Amino acid sequence: MALILREKAEYLATLRWLEVFLMETLASWVPTTPEMEVKVLLGRHIWDAAQHADALGKRTFELRAPLHYTLTPLPRYLRFMKELASVEDTTGRIQAIYDVVLPGFAARCQHYLRNSDSLLDEPSFRVVEGSLNDYARMRREREEVCKEINGTLVFDSSRAREWSRQESAISDIVAHGSGSTLAPGVAV
Amino acid sequence: MSASSKRKNVAGITLCADPAREQCFHVAQDDAEMQSFEDSLSEAARRERLHRHMNNEMGALEIAAQCLADFPESPWELRMQLARQASDESRHVRALYRRLLQLGGRKGEFPIGNFEWAVTNMCDTVAGRLAIQNRTFEAGQMDLLGGLRKIWRSLGDETTAEVLEHILADEINHVRFANQWIRKMVQGDRRLLLKVASAIRFLADTNAALSAGPEGGPPESSFERHAKLGINVEDRRHADFSDDEINEILRQAGMSSLVRN
Repeated sequence: MALILREKAEYLATLRWLEVFLMETLASWVPTTPEMEVKVLLGRHIWDAAQHADALGKRTFELRAPLHYTLTPLPRYLRFMKELASVEDTTGRIQAIYDVVLPGFAARCQHYLRNSDSLLDEPSFRVVEGSLNDYARMRREREEVCKEINGTLVFDSSRAREWSRQESAISDIVAHGSGSTLAPGVAV
Repeated sequence: MSASSKRKNVAGITLCADPAREQCFHVAQDDAEMQSFEDSLSEAARRERLHRHMNNEMGALEIAAQCLADFPESPWELRMQLARQASDESRHVRALYRRLLQLGGRKGEFPIGNFEWAVTNMCDTVAGRLAIQNRTFEAGQMDLLGGLRKIWRSLGDETTAEVLEHILADEINHVRFANQWIRKMVQGDRRLLLKVASAIRFLADTNAALSAGPEGGPPESSFERHAKLGINVEDRRHADFSDDEINEILRQAGMSSLVRN
């Protein structure tokens, strides 16, 4: 079902929350991840998440919501994200971000695009499609790093599969109608 | 538990515990444990300099990232700058590592130290951390890089000089945004000045306590060490230091004759 304008702002505000959460998670993992190449990979991608959040936050304002409007996802998704952020081993962290979180975000972005209008909402399409392109690049960069440190990390693919299953089992993430999305001073 | 809340004790001084490093690295706790060379221009000495610089950039990455993790309430525009800095420092690590490998070096070839991380993360305000890391350490690095790129060029190593040239350009931006944000935050809350001043005092005291002087003599201050390579006045201007601030730095470095009246 197509989103109305207010729901679009809420959806983008939720995507913004995800990007800020990703930025903060990567940031907190950088000092506690020993492997230099992985540390540097996570550090590079902090800036990607920040840019996505920035663009989404500016777009919410254009949709008559506050500048950098940010909406916490529904509790089930919030719990899942926090669970992933608590992973402590390097291979688990790589899998959590590049095999679960980014594909999950990409699916949420695709859902948005399917339920919006590429003409009326073209600026949002530019922002969201930009994120999708970056996710693909970020995952390629992960592959390059894993090749570079070939053999030093052993991945448990069943763990990533289970996380992906849990992520995709959560259909709704946006708390529609949970907050005022109209910016102060905007005529009603 | 935040990585910045863990503690270690070095020579009676409480500092932030080291960030995670691979087993191949030997983490030194003071200058005496670092490797030094009689011939500072030997191939091994050059690799050691690159190796040390690579680890310092890793520390800068970690400090910027930790600011993002520890101060989520900071203004969004400042967080964007810190995120960009994290990405820049990551790029610096990669560039220096690539050069180190080209020169026959390897990760863990020499001891490393995490002094900047250990001191900076003792501050509980983002303004204090910016004052120590960006405005002091990174500004000091601007001075060092201003001279070092010329030394590498004089040795015929244009590739390394070019790496340092790019790093210097990025560091100017990091120092500039810190200068601008510290001013802005202090204007908004004058009490922060006290926090910033005590952060710088803590750095000076720790530096004096842990730095070994030349040939066992009294410790050199960072000003004295930087003065050997010169103060990079032009880039400090680019980084938004005021003329008064630059003059004060020149005076402290024993270069009063260069101070503009």
